[in-house]
Amino acid sequence: MSYGLTLIYGVMKIVNLAHAGVMMWGAYFAFVLITRLGGNPFLAPIVIVPVFFVFGMFLQRYVVRRVMGAPPISSLLLLFGVWLIMQNISYLIFSGDTKAITTKYTLLTFQLAGIPVSVNRMVVFIVGILALLALRQFLGHTYMGKAIRATAQDSDASKLAGINTSRITEIAFGIGIALASLAGSLMALIFAFDPDFGRSHLLKGFCIVVLGGLESMIGVALGALVLALAEALSVLWLMPAMQDFVSFALLVIVLIVMPGGMKGLVDRFFSK
Amino acid sequence: MFKINKILLTILVLIISFILIPAVGFGQASTTPPKEIILGAALPLTGGQSREGGYVNKAYAMALKEINDAGGIMVKAYGKKIPIKLIIYDDKSDNTTSVQLYEKLVTEDKVNALMGGYGTPLITAHTIVAEKYRVPYVNGGGATGAIYQRGMKYIFCVISSIEKLSFTLMDWIALQQNAGKLKKPLRIALMGENTSHGKEFRQGVLDKSKAAPDRFQVVMDEPFELNLKDADPLLQKVKAANADIYLADARLADYVTIHRRYTEMNLYHSIVSYGPRGPEKAARDALGPASDYIISCNWWNKDIPAAPSKAFAEKYQKTYNEPAEWFAATAYEAFRVMAKAIEDAGTLDKTKIRDAMAKIDMKNSLVVGGRVWFEPNGQINNDHLIMQNMPGGKVVIIYPKDVATAQPILPIPKK
Repeated sequence: MSYGLTLIYGVMKIVNLAHAGVMMWGAYFAFVLITRLGGNPFLAPIVIVPVFFVFGMFLQRYVVRRVMGAPPISSLLLLFGVWLIMQNISYLIFSGDTKAITTKYTLLTFQLAGIPVSVNRMVVFIVGILALLALRQFLGHTYMGKAIRATAQDSDASKLAGINTSRITEIAFGIGIALASLAGSLMALIFAFDPDFGRSHLLKGFCIVVLGGLESMIGVALGALVLALAEALSVLWLMPAMQDFVSFALLVIVLIVMPGGMKGLVDRFFSK
Repeated sequence: MFKINKILLTILVLIISFILIPAVGFGQASTTPPKEIILGAALPLTGGQSREGGYVNKAYAMALKEINDAGGIMVKAYGKKIPIKLIIYDDKSDNTTSVQLYEKLVTEDKVNALMGGYGTPLITAHTIVAEKYRVPYVNGGGATGAIYQRGMKYIFCVISSIEKLSFTLMDWIALQQNAGKLKKPLRIALMGENTSHGKEFRQGVLDKSKAAPDRFQVVMDEPFELNLKDADPLLQKVKAANADIYLADARLADYVTIHRRYTEMNLYHSIVSYGPRGPEKAARDALGPASDYIISCNWWNKDIPAAPSKAFAEKYQKTYNEPAEWFAATAYEAFRVMAKAIEDAGTLDKTKIRDAMAKIDMKNSLVVGGRVWFEPNGQINNDHLIMQNMPGGKVVIIYPKDVATAQPILPIPKK
């Protein structure tokens, strides 16, 4: 989810509040594919990701593009509205009932060094790593990826270099949305969900993005790791109910002390 | 002289008018029966609480039809039965909208009394309107005791508090200790969502443990945030606590998330309970056999063998072609309680209806214990039902004894 937020912010400089809605729709899409149509839970993303990629491109072309260049509040409000519409459509179709996906893998565990490890969680973790690697490969070694990076760095210079930046932003938005839907479809294997699903993940996603350094994919991965460790270890000294406090305190500290995030820190370390 | 007589005559006419108008005009109004008694409610028919709100809506419609088919409510002041008109709005599960709609019901629709919605946050918000305008109000869907601890006089509730829920649960556990099914003292791992609901649940368990240290020792007590993303840290604490029983209070989504992880971590306790959660079909589907033997506390169940409950469950099934859930049963009962309070008051005077409600003693009720009455704070204080999930998706009632349908299986079998 955070990769998608970072990609969209990097290229278009907009904060996509509709990301939570896309994640929620990804979860419902997986629910329908797996429980109603009998699809394989781990193969469902193969269908979901392309569908949402197209949806993302469509959203960018016909909705988001209209506020490109407008003050940031316009895109924020617009995408917040899109999120509300998505939520209400889900309420209409699925009601407010809590849904969960149960498969033969749910609750299945294996022992790793004496620790029971959930098969579902392990698959989600592996897919998360694979997504990062694939994204890195795509951005670093393909023409399209390089064009996206170039547009993120300097849109005007990219235009002068012959890059169709309109097309690039459309594709980048599509990829960001596809990544959010991938997150939703995988999270649905672990968590129960309803149309409000994604709200708290969106906030954590922002923390991770800021922690990672706003426009760096590796920074995001590092940010997620740091945040997860901070939350998990904080329980040793603080109440579990304070986990959100830890995340947001970290966000404030990073914004004040280390505005470049993890990426800035790593860059500074290697430049010495 | 003529002028003086004219002035005197005018004054005389005015005095006679002042004397006659209240006697004839208003007196006549008080004896002219209204066409209908207007009740109103704002329910969460869409949004996050739409499922529960839908049940409440259906239950109100069922109770309304029953009463109106019998001619309405007998109001002594008019010497006749008056039918009810029920106005329902959709609050979209939103607190602000709920408050606005209750204001509208009172100020524009001029309701005689208000029926409640569903859910602690909504009810906490909109009950202020009922109290502000002194309109009698009763609900069957907001159990949190904090709602009724605000010194309000016009607010009533036919389901007992969450604190009482933990009292009932702890009393039942003590009975199992007495029966030799559980050891003494029991080490308890306790946790609950960081809301007034969760706090009351935890407080109830803590109070009972303090009162009986020879029976209960709380070795872990933790709140957690709603919409939990990672239950691992909490459950690591549960594991480290090395408790005998595990008691938690959680909403449906958190219950599923936590208990999935609980099962994956191979944890085991002699009793596992998530407070009111446990028998819901969505959770049983999501958890499969992992939800077997979970103990839950609730306000009603369609399998209660008492006649009023059976009659309601059958009628609801027949009317809506779906089994009744507790939200529907308690909403239906709330509606009947309001009708009885109006009948007992014998008038549509709001204060008198409120007074009648405060003194109500309704027998043959479908609530646990078969009787509705209210504590001075406006909330009922009856026992809860205790149920246990059984393999194959079954749920049995194990307490109170008079409505139990099976014996509990304790300690719960290791998987």
